[in-house]
Amino acid sequence: MTLIDTDDQRDLASSVKRFVSGQAPMAAVRKTIASEASFDPDVWRRLSQELGVAGLPIPEQYGGAGASWSDLVVALRELGSGLVPTPVLATSVLATGTLLALDDEEARATWLPRFAEGTAVGTLAVSEGARSPWAVADSTCVVEDGTVTGTKTAVLNAAEADVLLVTTASGVVLVEKGAPGLTITPADALDLTRGIATVTLERTPGRLLAGDAAAAVDAVADLANLALASEQAAATKACLDMTTEYAKIRYSFGQPIGIYQGVKHPLADIYTDWALTDAAIRKASESLAEGSETASLDAAVARHLASSGYVEAAKQTMLLHGGIGFTWEHDAHLYYRNAITGNVLLGGPAAQQDRIAQKLGV
Amino acid sequence: MSTDEFRAKALAWLQQNAKPFDDNEPSSGGATIEESKAFQKGLWEAGLAGITWPKEYGGQGLGTAEQLAFNEVAADFRMPVGPFVIGLGMPAPVLLEFGTEEQKKRHIAPMLRGDEIWSQLFSEPSGGSDVASLQTSAVRVEDGWLINGQKVWTSGAQFSDFGAVLVRTDPTRPKHQGITMFIVDLHHPGVTVRPLVVATGDAPFNEVFFDDVHVPEDAVIGEVNNGWAVAVAMLRYERVTIGTGVRARANPLGYDALVELVRARGLDDDPSVRRTLAQVYARESAMRSYSAVLHQEAKAGVPIGARGSAAKLAGATFPLWVSDLVQEIFGEEIALQTRDTLPIARSILAAPGGATAGGSNEIQRNIIAERVLGLPKDAGVDKNVPFNQLKLSK
Repeated sequence: MTLIDTDDQRDLASSVKRFVSGQAPMAAVRKTIASEASFDPDVWRRLSQELGVAGLPIPEQYGGAGASWSDLVVALRELGSGLVPTPVLATSVLATGTLLALDDEEARATWLPRFAEGTAVGTLAVSEGARSPWAVADSTCVVEDGTVTGTKTAVLNAAEADVLLVTTASGVVLVEKGAPGLTITPADALDLTRGIATVTLERTPGRLLAGDAAAAVDAVADLANLALASEQAAATKACLDMTTEYAKIRYSFGQPIGIYQGVKHPLADIYTDWALTDAAIRKASESLAEGSETASLDAAVARHLASSGYVEAAKQTMLLHGGIGFTWEHDAHLYYRNAITGNVLLGGPAAQQDRIAQKLGV
Repeated sequence: MSTDEFRAKALAWLQQNAKPFDDNEPSSGGATIEESKAFQKGLWEAGLAGITWPKEYGGQGLGTAEQLAFNEVAADFRMPVGPFVIGLGMPAPVLLEFGTEEQKKRHIAPMLRGDEIWSQLFSEPSGGSDVASLQTSAVRVEDGWLINGQKVWTSGAQFSDFGAVLVRTDPTRPKHQGITMFIVDLHHPGVTVRPLVVATGDAPFNEVFFDDVHVPEDAVIGEVNNGWAVAVAMLRYERVTIGTGVRARANPLGYDALVELVRARGLDDDPSVRRTLAQVYARESAMRSYSAVLHQEAKAGVPIGARGSAAKLAGATFPLWVSDLVQEIFGEEIALQTRDTLPIARSILAAPGGATAGGSNEIQRNIIAERVLGLPKDAGVDKNVPFNQLKLSK
């Protein structure tokens, strides 16, 4: 099992990094935040078409790169580090992962090529409130006469989605944009860099997809855990780097504040936790790529550590910057918002711990 | 021989010569020094000691893959190698890095064969984390040096043959610049070893007194007054040894042992207990992954550098953190058991020790902040002052 990046992965990381600093730096992210849209479609199109990010996990027969999930992780690190708003989690992880895990050739052939070229956004509508973040068997959404009725919460990029995959007790239902009875209410969300909406379906026409929905959604939970963890660990490192640099140039009592152990030690703790988390993500990424039997466990471990570590790092970033870190103008609150949202999205802390215990067989 | 063949060979030997872990047995191995020496000798004769070390000094000349394969297989066995952990983990790699050809030829193979047990003697009563404030002195005499002073926290000194001893050789220089590391024969009549009883009630360490102990000129490791560089290297090896040496099954505060105890007490259907176990597993598993990442990077030529301090800090904070958690899980049972009837009681008592041994948590945090993150170092008032003009603890 290799836990360090391959040469190809290092190349991919540096092209995405270059793209982020050139095309989607924090100033551009702030412009997107101030706009109506939850991401810049031009950035997503170029990421997909010029760098092939959207199609990384999509097999070549559907127009993707046929790479592994561990390659997508490399790209997610760079995007997560810069808080670049994109539908990558919704489209390339949740929707793509669901279609690949199910067994519906028509849906794959229709949507995967469009996902790969960045001309369609897909998402998975799975949550039904905090207590059932991965609802399938206990879903309250009802399928009847080729329609679906129910409510889904915290759906990523629902407002921009061309296709929504809706989990129900009967299976996964594919609903297209603009379908009758489909209402999407974007949330005025805590995280300014993610588009999140509540989706209600009232006898909305949809097609029940072939395949074992429960198994598919469980597999997608692993992918979501790995993907979110990768973004979060990278953002944690960005917080650490930002605060470390500040501690070198901010002077108090005649010395840079980074000399004081009250500043040094929390940063050393954040580094240590990040280093463990980064290693756990590498392990999970390899486990998933190899189809190891501990993949679900490893992904949940990575997510649990990444989510909690990021919340701590983002909080310390605000605190150690002092007053300036509490201003709107400073980026610290953007990370803090993103950290808290990521911690509770798609299965919060208790759900992740339960998943670890379940996969351990405790 | 392929890695798999090596693994199979190691497993076959261990099945023949070592006892598998029995979780119902108390954690102290109970092997005598003679049994340990015989075991280490057998290990060496089977080609399983000094796996990555050069053949010319008695090693096997193999790679990290074989070492990792051995570690993996060995984790399931109770190996009575305790007396050799320090010598082979710290002084031996330092001798390989800094020793003269003669020193390496003289000592490495006997250590691997189990014929020589070594200790490391750095800490003194007047300063633990501030190792460079050491006051044990060596003065030049005809044909060598004469050592006087006291060391403390010395593991295994009572059965050691040699020590790597850090000593002040020039008190007129600033503290880091007047230190030398010596090889000292601990059977010398001027060496007195006294057991040091710690908070658990055990005496895993010693105080060691030096009273006119003569050492020859060729006992110097590295150069005279350049011992600090040698010491820093040894501390780096020590952090790797402590940080990555956690063997899950041997640790009563590790996940495997806790989950068994939780089941034995019928607590495994309590959701909060399950979540606590999940947290313990997650952190322990990440520590293993981190150590694997560091091994793979080292193999790929990326220096581990000061990141060993992060492994050490994680390894030292883990049992302290789990000590808090097990109080929630097991409640009053913790108070009613003695350290001999419930292994975790002993481990809770022992947990603070790991956070002070080998450089305290605070020192590790300073190292991470300064050498990994590049934060400014505190200028310090003692850097450039001759040692004999500094204020020191008594």
